[in-house]
Amino acid sequence: MTTSHEMLYLDYAATTPVEPGVIDTMSQLFAFEGDFGNPSSGHVAGRRASARVAHATSQLAQLLGCRESELVWTSGATESDNMAIVGAARYRADRGRHLITMPIEHKAVTDAFGSLEKQGFEVTWLQPDADGLLVLDDLEAAIREDTQLVSIMHVNNEIGVIQDIEAIGSICRRHDVLFHIDAAQSVGKVPLDLATLPVDLLSTTAHKLYGPKGVGALYIADRPGCHVEPLIHGGGQQRGLRPGTLAVPLIAGFGHAAEIARLHMDENTEHLVELRDRMWEGIRDVEGILGNGGEDAAFPGILNVSVAGIEGESLLLALEPLIVATGSACNSKDREPSSVLRALGRSDELAQSAIRFSFGRPTTVEDVDFAADRYRSAVARLRELAPRSAA
Amino acid sequence: MTSDPYGDRVRELFADLAHSGDLADAPHVCVDDQGVRIALAASLEDGVLEALRFRAWGCPHVLAAAESFCRDYEGRPCSDLLEFRSAELMQTLPVPTEKLGRILVLEDAVRSLGQSVLHGLSGEAE
Repeated sequence: MTTSHEMLYLDYAATTPVEPGVIDTMSQLFAFEGDFGNPSSGHVAGRRASARVAHATSQLAQLLGCRESELVWTSGATESDNMAIVGAARYRADRGRHLITMPIEHKAVTDAFGSLEKQGFEVTWLQPDADGLLVLDDLEAAIREDTQLVSIMHVNNEIGVIQDIEAIGSICRRHDVLFHIDAAQSVGKVPLDLATLPVDLLSTTAHKLYGPKGVGALYIADRPGCHVEPLIHGGGQQRGLRPGTLAVPLIAGFGHAAEIARLHMDENTEHLVELRDRMWEGIRDVEGILGNGGEDAAFPGILNVSVAGIEGESLLLALEPLIVATGSACNSKDREPSSVLRALGRSDELAQSAIRFSFGRPTTVEDVDFAADRYRSAVARLRELAPRSAA
Repeated sequence: MTSDPYGDRVRELFADLAHSGDLADAPHVCVDDQGVRIALAASLEDGVLEALRFRAWGCPHVLAAAESFCRDYEGRPCSDLLEFRSAELMQTLPVPTEKLGRILVLEDAVRSLGQSVLHGLSGEAE
């Protein structure tokens, strides 16, 4: 079991540990003996650091199937989302001020759109179907003459549903609307080839794919009309799009993590499919259990389940030493039922009983068996505790 | 920084809810409010609470509070049930203030149990 007695970590959708090789890469870039220079400096130390950034950019570009010049380094997916959504909306505001997204997006997206609504933009919030998928006909119907941007998450962080970004992007291209995807959960785990996909803007982050926290990237397609206004202003780095001294160790770590993900994607996916399926098999006959998110379009690293008649907070504590999530990590401190699950039509009681298991490279079959047993016994224990009328 | 929402006392009680269950043919009450359901039962011996049991549907603080109440009140005169105050549990467990409403459901259940028990005793006296 990949755990001490204190915990069994099954929250890889929240964050992942850093690969040891990635740590080695980063550790070469902090001290005097390493390439610690400012990559904007013209001297040898700066050029060495700049070469490290260029190498990392190449590594991430290979993973995404894009050109190095189409990538901008950021502090993470939240900044990338904001830069894409707010930056693109402002850039194209003279053409129109209508935008489209879904209420099941990550807070970094919904709050960015909320901010734009306060600035006079109009946002259409498309409801998902019962599996969490965007209804393509609804999108087609929602696009107007003045629509400038559609933002849809690739893999949903709570329920793991995978949106058909090729179909969505094709609709957007046909209407000359920019298409942004939040790919924080999918990059390095789901094949993506931006050379062929109709995606204009893509947000990603390192810490979901065994890289460091604090670094992300935004892909901006090199095509006419696709651009963003910078959100911050300063020294002109990264073509003025995102100025500020580059975090060379973090960027190099992200690049290395991206390369590892690219080289091992098939075997990692196979591993996750085995774990997710085994977990579901281990708990699917629990009375009242319900999978959240469609099985046909589900990311293998995430299994989100609700169970009738169980109080979610007590379930979370009864599951210890399992480390799991009740919703997105950003939301798990407040006890409000997940807005994502509410959008899928789940009742408050089912939504608050939702548990997200997310698996990773270190997770073993034995871990999953332990987790399934723990889940079954925790549900049984809480059912036994409940007043008879509520059981 | 995110802190553990449960203190050691809540964790210890939650891990060992020894007083969960039923008491056959004993006075019992059930209160359903604030998204919490609490059932309490008491067996008596000479006006003393010989055994207390609970069933509950609620957060860990509610379950821990119910267990703590049962542990504390066994062996005490049943009239003490009417004196139960949730404020003490709020501090000793402790329970976050936003959950006061849920703990007040326990208080309602305890007092209701007290009234039921005392009513039964007065009936016996008659």
